Amino acid sequence: MTTVYDTTVTAVGSQVPAFIEHGILIFFGEQAPAELHDISVLHRVDVADDGPRPGDVVHLGEESLEVLAVGDVVRDNLLNLGHLDIKADGLTEAKLPGDVCVRKGPIPLLATGDAFRITRPATTAEQDLS
Amino acid sequence: MSEYKPVIVSKGRGGWGGPLTVLPTDERPLVASITGGGIHPVAQRIADLTGGEAFDGFKSSAPFDKIAVAVIDCGGTARVGVYPMKKVLTVDVHATSPAGPLAQFITEDLFVSGVKPEDVQET
Repeated sequence: MTTVYDTTVTAVGSQVPAFIEHGILIFFGEQAPAELHDISVLHRVDVADDGPRPGDVVHLGEESLEVLAVGDVVRDNLLNLGHLDIKADGLTEAKLPGDVCVRKGPIPLLATGDAFRITRPATTAEQDLS
Repeated sequence: MSEYKPVIVSKGRGGWGGPLTVLPTDERPLVASITGGGIHPVAQRIADLTGGEAFDGFKSSAPFDKIAVAVIDCGGTARVGVYPMKKVLTVDVHATSPAGPLAQFITEDLFVSGVKPEDVQET
């Protein structure tokens, strides 16, 4: 397993719970303009090697969610701006170019200091069934 | 007193909304590029033609009410709504349409998408 993106939450905007009710979680790097802070989880990046791919796992604090689909502009937005839109819509094809789709269901509310991570399973999965 | 000139920003291929007439003023001189990797070419062209001041929203902060137009590279959910919600003219370089929790604020008189530099024309 490889960690392709690893950051720490530095602030949670006042509108974040309302977006979570819509199944949406928005991240921006902490250098984002002030007008985006209310709707965003801000974070400070430690590792930014790649954007998510289907099959990767997004770790939100204690919760782990498999990535089902990824839109065309996700990687650029994440690596350039620390920006990511997670949609708990269960879709296997991203509806919008910025979407990262995960299973339907509740999205955890992150807190300052929580980890936000993306990990990639090893490509040659070695399964020990003995 | 600065001299500003208006430009018309039209939607590009697959885009939505507009056309918008953008005219910076002494009160709102900034062409804010809320995009990755510095000033986006669309923002630079709007600034060059209008006489507005190109501004990298991710490098430094500016009072929101100084922004004449926000150029974004939004994938469809967050920035497409935030700027129109605050009644700021918004140009998305990606071809997005109103969506997301803020979709109600995204209107043709405030928002245009799919915009490339050649979609910015002098009046």
